[in-house]
Amino acid sequence: MKRTWIISVLAASMMISACSSGNGQSGGTNAPSTNGEGNPAPEPPTKISWVTPLHHAEVPDSRIEELIEEKLNVDLEIQYIPAATWNDRINAAMATGNLTDIVSMTITGGNREAIRDEQFWEIEPYLDQFENLKKLKPEILDNTRIDGKLYALYQGRPFSRQGLIYRKDWADKLGLSAPANLDELYEMLKQFTENDPDGNGQQDTFGLADRGDLVSGAFNTVASWNGVPNEWGEQDGKLAPAFMFPEYMETMNFFRKIRENGYINADFPVTSKTDQQNLIINGRAGAYIGCMCDVQSLYTGASQLNPDAELDVHNRVVGPSGEFTVLSGPGFNHPYLFPKSAVQTEEELLKVLAFMDSLMTPEIANLLYWGVEGEHYNVVDGHAVPVSDQGKLDREVKPYNPLEVGEPTTSGRLEGKFDYAPAQKAIELFADNEPHVVQNPTLTLDSDTMTQHKERLAQIITDATYNYILGEMDEAGFNNAVERWKSEGGSRMIEEFNEAYDQLKS
Amino acid sequence: MVGDKSWSSRMFALINGGLLGLFALATVLPFIHVFGSSFATAGEIAAKRFLLIPTTFTFDAYRYIFSTNTIMKAMGVSVFVTVLGTFWSMLISVMTAYGLSRKDIIGRQVIMFLFVFTMLFSGGMIPTFLVVKETGLLDSYLSLIVPVTINVFNMIILKTFFQGLPDGLEESAKIDGCNDWGILFRIVIPCSMPAIATISLFYAVTYWNTYMHAIMYLSDAAKWPVQVLLRQIVILAGGMNFDNSVYTDVPPPAQSVKMAVIVVATMPILLLYPFLQKHFTKGALLGSVKA
Amino acid sequence: MSKPIAGSSWIRNLQRNKWIYVMIMPGLLFILIYKYIPMYGLIISFQNYRPYKGIMGSDFVGFEHFQRLFTSPDFWMIFSNTLILFGLQLLIFFPIPIILALMLNELRSEKYKRGIQTLIYLPHFMSWVIVVSISFVIFTVDGGLINGALESMGFQRINFLLSESWFRPMYILQVIWREAGWGTIIFLAAIAGVDPQLYEAAKMDGANRLRQMFSITLPSIKPVIVVLLILKIGDVLELGFEHVYLLLNATNRQVAEIFDTYVYVSGILQGQFSYSTAVGFFKGFVGLILVMGANWLAKKYGEEGIY
Repeated sequence: MKRTWIISVLAASMMISACSSGNGQSGGTNAPSTNGEGNPAPEPPTKISWVTPLHHAEVPDSRIEELIEEKLNVDLEIQYIPAATWNDRINAAMATGNLTDIVSMTITGGNREAIRDEQFWEIEPYLDQFENLKKLKPEILDNTRIDGKLYALYQGRPFSRQGLIYRKDWADKLGLSAPANLDELYEMLKQFTENDPDGNGQQDTFGLADRGDLVSGAFNTVASWNGVPNEWGEQDGKLAPAFMFPEYMETMNFFRKIRENGYINADFPVTSKTDQQNLIINGRAGAYIGCMCDVQSLYTGASQLNPDAELDVHNRVVGPSGEFTVLSGPGFNHPYLFPKSAVQTEEELLKVLAFMDSLMTPEIANLLYWGVEGEHYNVVDGHAVPVSDQGKLDREVKPYNPLEVGEPTTSGRLEGKFDYAPAQKAIELFADNEPHVVQNPTLTLDSDTMTQHKERLAQIITDATYNYILGEMDEAGFNNAVERWKSEGGSRMIEEFNEAYDQLKS
Repeated sequence: MVGDKSWSSRMFALINGGLLGLFALATVLPFIHVFGSSFATAGEIAAKRFLLIPTTFTFDAYRYIFSTNTIMKAMGVSVFVTVLGTFWSMLISVMTAYGLSRKDIIGRQVIMFLFVFTMLFSGGMIPTFLVVKETGLLDSYLSLIVPVTINVFNMIILKTFFQGLPDGLEESAKIDGCNDWGILFRIVIPCSMPAIATISLFYAVTYWNTYMHAIMYLSDAAKWPVQVLLRQIVILAGGMNFDNSVYTDVPPPAQSVKMAVIVVATMPILLLYPFLQKHFTKGALLGSVKA
Repeated sequence: MSKPIAGSSWIRNLQRNKWIYVMIMPGLLFILIYKYIPMYGLIISFQNYRPYKGIMGSDFVGFEHFQRLFTSPDFWMIFSNTLILFGLQLLIFFPIPIILALMLNELRSEKYKRGIQTLIYLPHFMSWVIVVSISFVIFTVDGGLINGALESMGFQRINFLLSESWFRPMYILQVIWREAGWGTIIFLAAIAGVDPQLYEAAKMDGANRLRQMFSITLPSIKPVIVVLLILKIGDVLELGFEHVYLLLNATNRQVAEIFDTYVYVSGILQGQFSYSTAVGFFKGFVGLILVMGANWLAKKYGEEGIY
């Protein structure tokens, strides 16, 4: 017994020392590689530290990090934090002065207060010095502004990827075309439920598979088709929250009706994304509203079970107004900020910005996003096609994706290409959405009540919305919830936003 | 063995065994679901929602997780931290618990209260982080062990068990010329093996499940124990969005991969229990020491 | 100290038990450094704490956060929900591992006993996320196992997951399922420590197994039960944040919202550390009172207690 203990302790400690010596080596190889450029007097590599979220269950491989260090003559220290514990870790780092030179963080809530308190560098005055950074899209940079000032660089994302994914083979069989308006959408969900689209003679299918997420599930997208503003909208020249618009009530009625009739999974408020997707994959439901990017993974699963299953994507669904409008995100994913506690002088800031600038060259941008050509991806007709070894990509390339600066149109990074036609079509529809997106007008406005009570207040409305759809609450009940929202801080929030809005307009 | 062979006692044994068997079945079915799903295709998982045994077996999920050495390395870290941590925690906890089980200690009640108080009040994550930093443990595996040396719950349980030992044991050892260390290591611990095994298991499981401290105190991802990866994959696969990021555009990992990671990451700690079970045999050790 | 007699007995005690004090030292040092020093962090419950300003730089606001908690329109709802779930834990869950351990102890086949033990201890290793997602598959009205069975037997479907009345049964069932087997370990250890001579003597007196259970096994493990009970009571407000949060939805919030879930949404998600800490402070205070009460009661009835 004793012996095995000792052996296992020894074995484990050997493993540890093996790990740490491995790290030492990777640090050591840096210096000679910078000499490889042939510079007569090589500058010492610039030290850059960066904390970034990790969206995969893999420990990142340092290969690409080393390639970047070599190419850009930097000594890079990347700290990964699993996305699930992101907030705790960042708050601890902020409280203990342990922030890195570059921090990928959200610019909402408490973080916003820290930014307004001048804890981070304002970067606007410097951007023009950098030929790549100055190409960043002003309309997206504007969405990151706080009190009109610019603190952040960004990784770009399409403004709106919202749309409908549906069973093309079912629609064809029933003689339905892609729905052009909400009535046709309703009809599609109805027929998918009642007219035996899979032809097995049993009534075992239904229309819409949804999940317990009003924002990125179906509800907000359908609402935006129906003309509900994005979170906040203008009503008689004043900003008002989306749920005070009559179209919000109409959208709730739409969902209430489809649930009463069984055209949507009855348990959708507690359905997870996995279970939602399974309903499409196993052929029980025929429509999915959300990110059209999901079509690829839905098809992969569905075709395993039923090789005849066909999916298609569609974006333009209009409400009674007849005009196509769709929900928009802010256009960026990870804002990058530069804390003054880590980047202490202007000179240091310029070095860090120069590094960010160099990440926007096509070579580095491709390296961060696609990996090493020939090893992680191949170029076919000017598009990047990743290799099929998903494990390798998840470990060696994907962890670097959240370090991208800008987007293909500004950095020259290659676009991807999908073999699966609907997935490729989805990308085209993202672009088709763009002229019709509805922005959240409060994105760059500040409200102290919002900062402090956003989640709790939002919960009142979310709960009421679900209860209304489920038939547990009537219109009067919903209005009571709105009154409660107002009295617990909502009214103040409306005032504060309107004040800020008027200031911005004047 | 009076009454043991009677009809009523047989009925009792049958019902008792049957009920326990049913309970065991109810607890094990979901586990079989997890195990079975790790060998199933995505299509089959979606089709049969409570899948137990897949019709088409595939090792894809395992091939995926072992295509890199991430999991194995992380398991190595977990084993190291668990073994070292359990050993350390048991040493300190047993010493403290034994010391406090002795009734003639000055300030015993005050000291016990100091321990109990820490179960109810905590300074929070950030001050603890600072203390860990000031004591030089950041980025070291010791940061997963030293700041959680004693679990007060476990220590109190140990103390309760020690207090339950017959008083005569210590007295006779003292007469034999043992000092307190001798009593602890030669008498008290061998006589409390069921408790020692139980609390060791509790500590081992706690160390095996460590993930929050690893994320807080270890900035080098290569040092992460396996629970960090397990948790990450379970949460990602659930499609939950805990980081408030606007776009969750990373496709969730396959269900089978999630299940396979659960299987791989829990297997070592599951296998620990059968090895400890022999210490739960009724009174075996107590008898042997007395003899 | 001033009395010479007391002083000398002090010194004599120190001399006699010097090794005992040495044994306690490391543990005491540990809690002083890693538990008591960080407690200065509780100060922030009286501040408007901002991480970037630190404790030194944040403003004091007195009892504002406590006031906000106690005057919150949901305070009593949350308080009673918490107490009810705790009551379920105490009355329904707590005895189950004891009963299971006693039942296991009665099994005569050592192999069967070990097999059952190993199986019922498995679920403890599945995180709540997994447990809740498995129960979703079993209980959903959209093709779940139970509702499928109910329907095929001609009953109405029951919406277990979107219902106020089913939340508590679901909660306690999941707790039992995941933790009952694990909870038996400690009682099995206690049973294993019972002196076999006691059973021999009882058999001589003609006591059957049931009598032995009540007159020997239970009294022998009573100290462990009492200690665990007191510790459980101290945990009154710790009902498993993750578990409840995963079960919580719009339809059951009136019965399912507890302090931890409330503070997660209204404090932690918004970076309101002071408020979260104030709620934590309050929870600790309630726990302290209950532990002290339980301990006093235990001592009054001749038990050892936990301090």
